[in-house]
Amino acid sequence: MVLAAVGVITVRNPVHAALFLVLTFFTAAALWLLMEAEFLGIVLVLVYVGAVMVLFLFVVMMLDINVAKMREGFMRLLPLGILVAVVMVVEMLIVVGAKTFRIDPPAPSPLEVSNTKALGNVLYTDYVYAFEIAAAILLVAMIAAISLTHRRRAGTKHQRPSDQIRVKRNDRVRLVKMKSEKK
Amino acid sequence: MIPLTHFLILGAILFSLSVAGIFLNRKNLIVVLMSIELMLLSVNMNFIAFSHYRSDLAGQVFVFFILTVAAAEAAIGLAILVALFRNRQTINVQDLDELKG
Amino acid sequence: MSFAIPNFLPAAPEIVVLTMACVVLMVDLFIKKEQRFFTYLLSQATILLALLATLWVASDATELTFNNGYIRDSMGDWLKIFILIITATVFLYSRQYLKDRNIDKGEYYVLGLFAMLGMMIMVSAWNFLNLYLGLELMSLSLYAMVAFDRNSAKASEAAMKYFVLGAIASGMLLYGMSILYGLTGTLNIADVQQQLTTVPEGLDIAVVFGLVFMLVGIAFKLGAVPFHMWLPDVYHGAPTSVTLFIGSAPKIAAFAMVMRLLVSGLGPLHEHWQTMLIILAVLSIGIGNIVAIAQTNIKRMLAYSTISHVGFILLGILAGTKVGFASAMFYTIIYAFMSLGAFGLIVILSHKGFEAENLEDFKGLNDRSPWLAAMMLLILFSMAGVPPTVGFYAKLVVLQAIVNIDLVWLAVYAVLLSVIGAFYYLRVIKLMYFDKPDTQQYIKTSIDVSAVISVNGLLMLALGLFPGALMAICLAAMN
Repeated sequence: MVLAAVGVITVRNPVHAALFLVLTFFTAAALWLLMEAEFLGIVLVLVYVGAVMVLFLFVVMMLDINVAKMREGFMRLLPLGILVAVVMVVEMLIVVGAKTFRIDPPAPSPLEVSNTKALGNVLYTDYVYAFEIAAAILLVAMIAAISLTHRRRAGTKHQRPSDQIRVKRNDRVRLVKMKSEKK
Repeated sequence: MIPLTHFLILGAILFSLSVAGIFLNRKNLIVVLMSIELMLLSVNMNFIAFSHYRSDLAGQVFVFFILTVAAAEAAIGLAILVALFRNRQTINVQDLDELKG
Repeated sequence: MSFAIPNFLPAAPEIVVLTMACVVLMVDLFIKKEQRFFTYLLSQATILLALLATLWVASDATELTFNNGYIRDSMGDWLKIFILIITATVFLYSRQYLKDRNIDKGEYYVLGLFAMLGMMIMVSAWNFLNLYLGLELMSLSLYAMVAFDRNSAKASEAAMKYFVLGAIASGMLLYGMSILYGLTGTLNIADVQQQLTTVPEGLDIAVVFGLVFMLVGIAFKLGAVPFHMWLPDVYHGAPTSVTLFIGSAPKIAAFAMVMRLLVSGLGPLHEHWQTMLIILAVLSIGIGNIVAIAQTNIKRMLAYSTISHVGFILLGILAGTKVGFASAMFYTIIYAFMSLGAFGLIVILSHKGFEAENLEDFKGLNDRSPWLAAMMLLILFSMAGVPPTVGFYAKLVVLQAIVNIDLVWLAVYAVLLSVIGAFYYLRVIKLMYFDKPDTQQYIKTSIDVSAVISVNGLLMLALGLFPGALMAICLAAMN
């Protein structure tokens, strides 16, 4: 999983990075299953791998980016990046790796207990307020994405029935007065 | 059984990698967005680990909402990215220099 | 499985806003572009209804509901009232601006309402989850509003920067929350506080570790140095009407977030976060004031001035006393009104095809419109902290709180830098009053906008002369 995560941030091609991210999500989902969070593990695969990553890939393809140019400066920044990562890892390991969090693992829950059911029970009762807020957030995301990217292209051809019906004779037929020709 | 600490270390490493990824990828905004997803994943990892070892469901509920929000965030982020690309024809971070001072 | 239906009444303002925002969204779909005024009216009606609902449920007692995830107390009520008033004013100021720029779409108001909803949720969140969701609701709406002018490269660049840094900040905040959740086993703020009062030996470092991450996240959102990089760019790049919004109401929500997280949740760790806040405040006041002098764009200048004001708010909070919190709340509210006025004037001075962005655009404002110049004068004096405007009093109470906890050097430093800071405000005033205008173009304002901006400006003076009432409110809110 760590290797996959390294892959995400170092590979040259954004498509490969996205695929590495998918791999990372899969491994994470497996670990979550180990920790008896079955529902979330499956949601992670379905929602993330299924929807969000496809969105990412879609945008990568749509934008048609010049990959070669992206590499410039990468090597220059690499030492800095590694330094940042190492310093952060060391600091964090000192804290979380030490004997700070010594909680004994709980006994595995019996088979008939359903994680999904337990989650559902609290989700719609204790956390109903948060649930409503989440609904509002998704609505905002929808409004934002549509209003930011949807545009009427100039020059597309389509019928406008209302205009067709409303057409008056005068718009189409022009009576031209001509002198009658003399024979 | 795997001790809790291992999961936390994994979370910490993922988090650091995502920060490094944001630093490293000065050239490509899409990868920066992916790094942000990675960061949220590391947080989720922490929450689930704690939730499991403390036998408390609240952590899992939190993860559920983080997943929801992250999906919304990705949608808006990519929408802004597309709008930006249409205006500037680039997603190179270093080209974004119109606002300086 | 038994389940008691929670008491929905305390959340009446939020419910009103959510329902009405959806109504506005639907109605806007069915009206023509020329009738956009109707959307605007409906949004204002929403705010009015929410205001009434807030007043209706307001009381001195503190109520908890939704499994203790929602709190309604007098601080929350007052902050919500101010958020509502400010949002209404923002809509009022920006209507003409949006119309001139042809981005007068219903989504602006809908997203504005949702951002406001997010702020209200933040104000009355009583567990980490609701706080985070409120924050995201607000931020996501704001990102979209910044990018709203789709054809402006500047706006979408600003939105991208805002988005990336905002997302990193949320990530940091969440990581801190996850550590604290692991340590305390609860998401509820009151329970966290209770757990943290008795930290076992050896867990200290982990608690501080979680605190640091949380503080970095908060500092990002507030725009305190060294996490301020996004602020000038976003203020500059966003359409001015959006800058007006970002600069005012969210600061109040951010203040509420700091109060709930640091003061209520992590109150037992006061000695740890006090030191960190001192560093943030010193840097913010210093860099904010000094860099602002070099700016030629007034939006950027005001952004840096925001950073220094954020430093002052942090000063009040780090005092850690009741008076300190009250003075910080006072300062936040006053700051929100000041930036509302300042950006409001920028919006008013802009007209079709012209942005009043550069300092030069304010040249000779006195010749063109003495009344608007006088209002700008009052607001800038207030920002600089010149008596008898309210800015002076706000700075004074904050400094008093600092001196009371024996941090005299910090107070002296803040005073010195505000004197330096006064320079750039005075420069704008000099441009307005003593330079000749480049253009004699008449500034046309509609009657409602000029009435509100006058109230806004005179408020600075009136509150400066009689600050007692608002201060009493702030003190009462801290009980």
